[in-house]
Amino acid sequence: MINTVKKIYSKNSFSYKVIYTDGTEWSVPHNEENRHYQEILEWVANGGTITDPGA
Amino acid sequence: MALNTLPNAGLTNRGYPSDRLVTPIIINGDMSVAQRGTSFSFSSSSGFTVDRFDFERTSGATGDCTITQESDAPSNTGLVKSVKIAVDTAETPTGGGNCLFQQKLEGFNVAPLEHGQSNPPSATLSFWVKSNKTGTYSVQVKAEGSTGRYVLFDYTISSANTWEKKIITWVGDTSVALDYDSSRRLRVIWHLASGPNDKVSPTSSWATSSIFQMSSNAVNFFDDASNEIYFTGVQLEVGEFDSTSIPAFPFESFANNLNRCMRYCQKNPQTSSGGDYKVTASGFADGASLALCSINPFSVEMRTVPSLTSSGSFRIHKSGGASSVSGVTIDSDTSGSTSFTIRCTTSSLTSGQGVFLEQSNDSDAHIILDAEL
Repeated sequence: MINTVKKIYSKNSFSYKVIYTDGTEWSVPHNEENRHYQEILEWVANGGTITDPGA
Repeated sequence: MALNTLPNAGLTNRGYPSDRLVTPIIINGDMSVAQRGTSFSFSSSSGFTVDRFDFERTSGATGDCTITQESDAPSNTGLVKSVKIAVDTAETPTGGGNCLFQQKLEGFNVAPLEHGQSNPPSATLSFWVKSNKTGTYSVQVKAEGSTGRYVLFDYTISSANTWEKKIITWVGDTSVALDYDSSRRLRVIWHLASGPNDKVSPTSSWATSSIFQMSSNAVNFFDDASNEIYFTGVQLEVGEFDSTSIPAFPFESFANNLNRCMRYCQKNPQTSSGGDYKVTASGFADGASLALCSINPFSVEMRTVPSLTSSGSFRIHKSGGASSVSGVTIDSDTSGSTSFTIRCTTSSLTSGQGVFLEQSNDSDAHIILDAEL
């Protein structure tokens, strides 16, 4: 299960740093076919909030 | 072209017509490829095990177990490896809780099942199983088209600690097509335990449901911490077969099997053998504390843009020295399904320097790129 999600900016776009409750960490693209991004969407739909430090 | 995708001249012992393509629908059914490792612990978590096979638990179940790749397989079959699921803590799932082992199939790979057509062929699932816990178990074939559909079958483990081959046949679904795309369109699910909400009667006719369904006849495999179950030799064939007509397991070379797995997962470096400083990617310094390093191109195009996770110690090797890496992330500007750029947080670089991302005295340090379903 996802614990935290943080937006990570590149020069022209962004990805996500996802930390799961078991401690594993993934760098996830903003891509609807990616299973981790699909999990982020589900997590947000269930009340999770993405931390956005800004570009 | 991989050998196993050629028309099967010389392979007629598998029982196919001469013009039949024989690329297996199930990938890594012999459980031989294990890029992520050979032992996995789960507790209130889900995840992949050997390549293409994953354990999933849902709310209402804990799924406290250890899954390992084993050198234990039925004799006289050519199979060498298997997967063992060993319960660590006994439980009875509640509500809609589930514990299950599965392979998820991509839409591009299930077109031969012809779902949504007026006269789809039969399909046959065959696998080997062994457990100390005898009794009735169930397999769900779960189609994920515009409407969720499933068939659900019982199978029986008759003798404890003895390899048994199971064969299950069904007719394809005429009602709901499976999109021909790179998304998840079919699952083959071996149920291990479910809460009461998800237990239903088995059915060989396609029924509508988008949730996991375990047979109400099935045992609770998670009822004792000493329970263990093995699987191997999983094959899904187009056509109706029985124990005498089922084709032999569709063995691929290890390299072909690994290549097919790499569409969904790529480990880099691939093995821990060799030196302690194996290079993972190469690139340049983009300022004093950031290196951009690319794996370009992938040896196999991945299903979609992958996620990245890393394990172990890495460093940036530059002219005249090295700097430790404190973090790696995807560079979303330049990554895709055929190439990948890693942003490496480090120090003491000179902008424009050429660099390697390499292991730092850690032969098992690696990056996993994941494009699983």
